[in-house]
Amino acid sequence: MEVLLQTLISGLLLGGLYALIGLGMTIIMGVMKIINLAHGELMMVGMYVAYLLFAWAHIDPYLSILVAVPLLFILGVALQKYLINPVLKVDAILPENQVILTVGIGMVLANLATIIFKSDYRTTPVDYATKAWYLTDLWKDSPIELSLSFPWTVSFLFAVVITAALWFFLSRTDMGKSIRATAQDKDAALLMGVNVERMRVFTFGLGSALVGAAGCLFLPIYYLYPDVGGQFTLTGFVITILGGLGSTVGAILGGLILGIFESLTATYLGMGWAPVGRFVVFVLVLIFVPGGVASLLRRRRFGK
Amino acid sequence: MKRPLVIGLSILMLALSLPLGALAADFKLVVPLPLTGKVAKFGEIMKKSFEMAAEEINASGGIKGSQIVLGFEDSTGKPETARAIVEKLIEGGQPVIVGEYTSACAKAVAAVAEERKTPYLVVASADDAITQQNYRYVFRQNQVNAHYADAFVSFMGEVVKPKTIAILYETTAFGTSGADAMENDAKKLGITVVLKEKYEAGAPDFKPILSKVKSLKPDVVYMVSYVMDASLLMKQIMELRLEAKLFAGGAAGFAIPEFIDNAKNAAEYVVSATLWTPQLNYPGAKAYAEKYKAKYGDYPSYHGASAYASLFVLKAAMTGAKDWTTEGIRDGMKAVDLQTAFGPVKFEDRDGYQNQNFVETLAIQVQKGDFQTIWPKTHASTPHVYPVPSWRDRR
Repeated sequence: MEVLLQTLISGLLLGGLYALIGLGMTIIMGVMKIINLAHGELMMVGMYVAYLLFAWAHIDPYLSILVAVPLLFILGVALQKYLINPVLKVDAILPENQVILTVGIGMVLANLATIIFKSDYRTTPVDYATKAWYLTDLWKDSPIELSLSFPWTVSFLFAVVITAALWFFLSRTDMGKSIRATAQDKDAALLMGVNVERMRVFTFGLGSALVGAAGCLFLPIYYLYPDVGGQFTLTGFVITILGGLGSTVGAILGGLILGIFESLTATYLGMGWAPVGRFVVFVLVLIFVPGGVASLLRRRRFGK
Repeated sequence: MKRPLVIGLSILMLALSLPLGALAADFKLVVPLPLTGKVAKFGEIMKKSFEMAAEEINASGGIKGSQIVLGFEDSTGKPETARAIVEKLIEGGQPVIVGEYTSACAKAVAAVAEERKTPYLVVASADDAITQQNYRYVFRQNQVNAHYADAFVSFMGEVVKPKTIAILYETTAFGTSGADAMENDAKKLGITVVLKEKYEAGAPDFKPILSKVKSLKPDVVYMVSYVMDASLLMKQIMELRLEAKLFAGGAAGFAIPEFIDNAKNAAEYVVSATLWTPQLNYPGAKAYAEKYKAKYGDYPSYHGASAYASLFVLKAAMTGAKDWTTEGIRDGMKAVDLQTAFGPVKFEDRDGYQNQNFVETLAIQVQKGDFQTIWPKTHASTPHVYPVPSWRDRR
């Protein structure tokens, strides 16, 4: 019982952070119809921003979200405007050449980070790194002992707040509605007077900003090195497929499902199975639920 | 007026220096190491140590009058890259190979070296298999994984006397061989292995697997990891208040200063197996450690000491060699019997190993944020702290 509960807590916290990574990817996917394979590397850039602020000015990684988010937004906008858009316009031999471009962008970012920061591991040793709340501290005679890590919980709550803000933005503002319109039907949106080109640029910025925030949230509980991005790109990719391409609700659920699934696998099958499990889920979803969680929700008239 | 004189003099100087140069050409040695990538930290410690040794040897007249000219090639910790680098070096006529860090890379390099009949000195890779292949040209200066934990095991047997042990290890050649060795040692001591599980290196969250360990209540938790996993494991053990009589590591990630820097107070009282510490009384060990610390701000780990000593071993081998061909140096290596800063070095064939140096291993413990040598007692710098306080009582 204790092990199961502790595992579920870990899975939920991890899933919330995964969801934030998946969200940025799925938004870009929805509007641009391409998988952004530089996603993890953008997260890595966000992490280095937070790390530098900590190293130079001792700014808490959670506060550096305020700096990393706008910076990553600008970076995303610039990438879309000057690299991806021109490539979209060219007829290439390869149908999906912009995907290959994102791989290239990712490589360049990772190698730039290696040149600037060397391949050293970096951490931000905050005072609350190993702080946790314990059930037995609250309830003396508790039969089981559960712990809730302070930084993991804070990161999770931040992820929830950011996700809620994003939902509000997409469903309640003009800009958000335009983005959703572009994602649903580009041509119709054009006819309705939506500036599709601008939406694309803005979306890529937004996706980058979200994953930059995820980077800041991961830094206190994890560590940082130039090649850290690759694994998160994969994670985001699996979540995007699992959630249903371009569905925000799907990405949130997908992230939570993956987080909890990985934790359960680690506890009950063995941690060595985690990477295998991830791809088993990936393949099964592709075969049996091609639309991901979103299509299941739609069947229940639940999600939009 | 003066110009002809200067020219004349310089011609004379050149003429004089040419035969000297011909007598003792520089000895170029290119070392493959992981300088970028996940294990770059270890490569960096080794690179600095190689440089220090070369500087000292050159200052004292080089090898038979030849100055060592060091070069480095980055293998990024990938076996195929290491292999390609070494192929190129042998092709270019380098008669001996020294270096590499991970067991996977060293295995690849050893195979090439044997194939091309070029002596290869392994300095920090632990997988037993490297010197169990009947290789004639592969020499290993550091202890093998099967014996890495000897001192730690004797510490367990004499001090901790545990009944149960849980072993966590990463899915690499190093992790697997280290975990297998510990399983055997535990069986010999009559300790029950309640869990032996591998994990994915670089994972952000070990709490699920650690919850499982916690529910099994082992007396000792033994982990074989590289550096960042080691810190995360200890941090999350502290977070979960996983109580055990002893937390221990199998060298590598648990035995370098970064572990303490990153795990902070979660690292306190952790015991690790290691091959060398700055507090040892081998000739030159202290001098090297202090010099390294003065230069780079931190004490070196055993990887550095081994790299540092390896050039002195190479010097001894080449001084004793009848010529500097691959065969000559190979025979020179076989004849080496040297006291170094890393301990005595002598390549023996025994217990199924070939050209293997058997060195005494040690156990270290983190005390007040520093590594202290605690076992064997003859080498101890401070007494060990045991039993360790529970997480609840710390702060």
